[in-house]
Amino acid sequence: VSETLPILRIGDTLLVALQGDLDDIAVVRIEEQLTREVARTRAAGVLIDVSGLTVVDSFTARVLARVVGMIRLLGAQAAVVGISPAVAITLVELGVPMGHLDTALNVEQGLALLRRLRGEAVRGDDHRLD
Amino acid sequence: VWLAGVEADIVAASARADDRARELEVAVVDDSSSQSPGRSNRLRDLEAVAALVDEGIITLDPAGRIVGWNRGAASLTGYSPDQVRGEAVSLLYTEEDRSARLEQRELEAARETGRFEDEGWRVRSDGRRFRAAVAVAPVLGDDGGLTGYVKVLRDVTARRADESLFRALLESAPDAMVITAQGGRITLVNRQTEKLFGYERGELLGRPVEVLVPQRLHGRHVMHRDAFFTGPAVRPMGMELDLFAVRRDGSEFPVEISLSPLRGDEGLLVCAAIRDVTERREQQERLKRQRDEIMELSTPVIQVWDKVLALPIIGTLDSGRAARLTEGLLEKIAELQAEVIILDISGVPTVDTLVAQHLLKTVQAATLMGATSIVSGVRPETAQAIVHLGIDLGRLRSRNTLRDALQLALQIVRERAGAADAAAHSVTGGRP
Repeated sequence: VSETLPILRIGDTLLVALQGDLDDIAVVRIEEQLTREVARTRAAGVLIDVSGLTVVDSFTARVLARVVGMIRLLGAQAAVVGISPAVAITLVELGVPMGHLDTALNVEQGLALLRRLRGEAVRGDDHRLD
Repeated sequence: VWLAGVEADIVAASARADDRARELEVAVVDDSSSQSPGRSNRLRDLEAVAALVDEGIITLDPAGRIVGWNRGAASLTGYSPDQVRGEAVSLLYTEEDRSARLEQRELEAARETGRFEDEGWRVRSDGRRFRAAVAVAPVLGDDGGLTGYVKVLRDVTARRADESLFRALLESAPDAMVITAQGGRITLVNRQTEKLFGYERGELLGRPVEVLVPQRLHGRHVMHRDAFFTGPAVRPMGMELDLFAVRRDGSEFPVEISLSPLRGDEGLLVCAAIRDVTERREQQERLKRQRDEIMELSTPVIQVWDKVLALPIIGTLDSGRAARLTEGLLEKIAELQAEVIILDISGVPTVDTLVAQHLLKTVQAATLMGATSIVSGVRPETAQAIVHLGIDLGRLRSRNTLRDALQLALQIVRERAGAADAAAHSVTGGRP
C-alpha cells in the first residue's frame, strides 16, 4: 500500500482506488485522507474502486461500510465499483452482508449511480435499487 | 577340521527339532569352538544330531560310498540304512544325472571349494522322484587328509510346487506385477510388465524400481517406498493422486497401482500391481467435457437488448448448476457491461427453499456487480409456495411474463441513461 492514497477528482466526484492489502494502518490512513479530501473538495460523491485489492472479504466489507458511513456524514454519496465476478460470488457464498452498499460495475455506471442516489437523497427517498 | 557351513546347517536343523535337541545343539556349538576335539567325539555328536533332525544326513567315504544314513534319509528316500550301507550314493540319482556323473562332480566341487549346494531331482526306492535341496561338505581328518563327505538333503518338492503355482499366477495376472525388495531393487516381473513397459525381463531385474517412474517423481517415490517398507499394508498407491509410469521409450502413461507386502525367506518384498488406465482416463475426460457442454447448453445467457441480459432457467436448479449459472451470468455482465438482468424461472418445475436460496445468491452477486435483477415467469403456484415457505425475496422486482420484465428492464436502462446524461452534464458543467 502506497503512502498516499490515489484520489482522482472528476468534477464534483472523487474516485479513490484502494490497492494491495488492507491492514489496520492502511485503513486508518484511508479513513483520514479520504474524509479530509471529501471535506476539502466538498465533493458530492465518492466512487471507491476495489478492483486493485488483493483480498475482498468480510473485513473489507466492514471497512467499506465504515468509510461509506463517514462519507455520508460529510454530505456526499458513495458507491463501490470494481467488484469482479469471482469476488461477488465469494462474498455471497461467505454470506458477507453487502446490502447496505451501493455498487456499480465500472466508473461510468458508478457516476450514473451516484447521480441517481443524489436525486433520491434530495427527494428524501431512502430506497435503493435492491 | 569340520566345515563351518555344514555345522551351521546341522545347528539350524537341530534348532528346529524339539526341546530335547537343545542340549545337543549346545554340545555341537561347544564342540566346534574347542580347538582340537577328538574325531570320535565329533562323529558321535553328528550321529546323535542326525538321529534327531528331519533332514536326510548321509555320510560318505572318500569314494562316495554310503557310510552313515540317518532316520531322515531313510524316510526321505524309502531306503533303510542296511539297504544302502556300502552302496554308491549314485543310487539316489536319476538316470540322466548318473550318466552325467553328477554325484562325483558334486563331491569334487565340495572338495575344491569346501562347500557345495544345489537343488535337483532325486529318486526314491519306489522310483518316484522328489526335489531335493542338497548341501555337501568334505570331512577332513586331523592330518588334513580327506576322510569322507557329509551330505544334507532336504525335500523341497512342496515348496517348488508352491513356487511354480506362484509363478503361473504371476504370469497370468492381467496387471503388470513388479516385485521389489527392500532398497527398491526389482526382483521379479511378469510378462505383462514386459509388454506394458517395453523392457525385456532381464533388463529390469536388479535395477531400482524408479526406472519405471518418471524422472520428475523419483525423489517423492523413493520417500514413499521407504515409508511403505517400514509400515507395509495392502493398499492402493497414491490415493486421490494421478499416478504416472514411464516406458522404456520415455513415454508416460497414467496408471493405477495397488501394493501388497510379501514376506519371504529373503525378507520383506513388495508386490506392485500396475494397471494402465489411459483409456479410462480418456473416457472420464470425455464424460466431463460432455457434462460441461450440457451445463453450458442448460444455462444460456442471452443479450436481449443493449445492457439487458436474459437468463431463462429450465429444469431443476441444484447447487452445482446454480454456481455455474451465477458464474456465467456475472462474466457476461462484466463482458457486455449489462445493467439489468432478467431471470426467467417459468421453466423451473418447483421453487423450494433451496432453489429460492440459489436464486437469491445469484441476484445478490449480480447486485454487487452493479446490475439490477428482475425475476419473470413466476407462476401462481410458485408465488404461493414462496410466501408459504416464508422465503424473503427482499425487494426483488418480479414480473409475470418475460415481456413485462423486458419492458421494465428497458425502463430502468432509460432512467439510468438519463441519470448518466445528467451526471455527464454536471461533470462538464462543474468544470471551471
